[in-house]
Amino acid sequence: MTFLKVKGLEKRFGGRHAVDSVHFDVAAGELVGLIGPNGSGKTTLLNMLSGHLAPDGGTVTLEGREVTRLPVHRRARAGILRMFQLTRVFDRVSTLDNLLVAGRGLGLNARDALTRARALLDELSLSPVAALDAGRLSGGQRKLLEFGTCFMVPPRIALLDEPFAAVHPSMREIMGRFVRERHALGQTFLLVSHDMPVVREMCERSVCMNAGSILADGNTEDVLNDPAVIEAYLGGEAA
Amino acid sequence: MGNSERRLRAEFHGSLVILALVAALPLVLTSVYWQGVVIVSLYYALQAMGWNLVTGYTGQMNLAPAAFAMVGAYGVGLLSHHWGISPWLGVPVGVAAAAGIGLVLGRIVLPLQGAYVALTTLSFAEILRLVIGNSYSVTRGDLGLNVPTVFDGRLPYYYLMLAVVVLVQIALYALMRSRMGLFLQAVRDDEVAAASRGVSIVWWKTLAFVVSSAICGLAGTLYAPFAGLISPELGLILNTGLVVSMVVIGGMGTMIGPIVGALLVYTAGEMLREVGDYHLIVFALLVIVFARFFRGGIWGLLQLGADRLPGRRETGAREG
Ligand SMILES: Nc1ncnc2c1ncn2[C@@H]1O[C@H](COP(=O)(O)OP(=O)(O)O)[C@@H](O)[C@H]1O
Ligand SMILES: [Mg+2]
Repeated sequence: MTFLKVKGLEKRFGGRHAVDSVHFDVAAGELVGLIGPNGSGKTTLLNMLSGHLAPDGGTVTLEGREVTRLPVHRRARAGILRMFQLTRVFDRVSTLDNLLVAGRGLGLNARDALTRARALLDELSLSPVAALDAGRLSGGQRKLLEFGTCFMVPPRIALLDEPFAAVHPSMREIMGRFVRERHALGQTFLLVSHDMPVVREMCERSVCMNAGSILADGNTEDVLNDPAVIEAYLGGEAA
Repeated sequence: MGNSERRLRAEFHGSLVILALVAALPLVLTSVYWQGVVIVSLYYALQAMGWNLVTGYTGQMNLAPAAFAMVGAYGVGLLSHHWGISPWLGVPVGVAAAAGIGLVLGRIVLPLQGAYVALTTLSFAEILRLVIGNSYSVTRGDLGLNVPTVFDGRLPYYYLMLAVVVLVQIALYALMRSRMGLFLQAVRDDEVAAASRGVSIVWWKTLAFVVSSAICGLAGTLYAPFAGLISPELGLILNTGLVVSMVVIGGMGTMIGPIVGALLVYTAGEMLREVGDYHLIVFALLVIVFARFFRGGIWGLLQLGADRLPGRRETGAREG
């Protein structure tokens, strides 16, 4: 059985296809890079996987269970955890409590949530700001915090939308190490990134989108050397 | 223990100190008139506590707290007027009616955002008031309803209202310490992010509305036998405005703000009674100033002052 199966997913905005009959599978334990020029539909695709957008067609199946119509919070509990391109944290509660919201929301009891949150704070070097309201954190710290909330309960699959963009290198390093370690332990990821060296280094496999469709899917090195992919990126930059 | 737990505990203990002072007040405050003023302050404190749950903690701009107090009061009044049922038995009925209507209102505003929640709850409140004001054969309209007293004298009402405020405060504290407190604040700060972490925003927002409405209804059921006469004026938007100003001035989204705000604002209003309705202008200005510059209200200002004291610096930023 395929771990995550995306079949014919499509989304139109005012007649224009943002995502156009996209098919792909993710196997358990894979770390798949999702690349493509700006506006190619990566975030829209993630929105349909996490339930934030209802697709106009197609299905999403996780471990044999169709989740296409499941509301966001039930999909999160089914293990599809998502990090947004524009950071979303709870500004007026503390860093620690941000993690506790995720822990309790995903079904942990109070004690386990606290234990888990403390461990994550340590691992992400956020312990010194645990008691600060998240609204007072730096942009990078907020990103780290949102990243952390994806892992309060090990997700079935983590969908990360540009986690490394506009983040201080030291924090990028923390997140990168975290992803590599979890991946080594079998955690499944779908990683959207603009940063080609990062994708090249972290992902064995990549999917490249362009104008809502999948342009190439396979070994990252092959995808990045695919003339159509190079062309799409150059075209995107020229635009 | 989470950081918000420590914050909650400080606010809760602070509120108990204030309420203990209120309990001791009749020792020196022997004027029946001023005891009555405190009773009405506590009536508003309950509404403020209910409103704070749904607006301060959950971020849903509900402009119907006074309407729910009116519903509670009419629950007591109608049972007594038509069937001669004791106000004591009317209390659970009034609370249940307010909670039920709160459930309906909660479901209506669920998909709405920001200003639309305010507009919808405001219209809803006005409709409720107009229905009660115009259902002459049932409610006697603007003539109002007489409600029999349940006690002789002021002090029993004083301590009943105070005891209920304490009990509701304890219940709210327990709610806020549970995962519900975390979830409501998460919904307030970012609904999309809350849902993305498994929080059912439909369920928690509805629950916040129901509990908030029930508390406001409870306030009305207790007010009715104390006042002896209830009318649709209880549900005036002006009274909702008073509730809002109390919470904003006291400290919105805190356990203590609604209680401090209600006591201060209502008694100040009584003291300024001679100058006419100008005190409302003062409160309105205060609300603007607090909402703009002191989001934490009076409680927030006190905290700021305490943090500046020598030896207290940075303790807030350390985890114990
Ligand atoms: N909510 C929306 N309404 C209308 N158009 C949208 C919306 N979201 C995305 N789009 C459009 O869909 C296309 C894909 O966008 P997006 O998925 O954000 O791309 P990417 O994440 O790859 O940069 C773009 O043309 C974008 O303008
Ligand atoms: Mg994007």
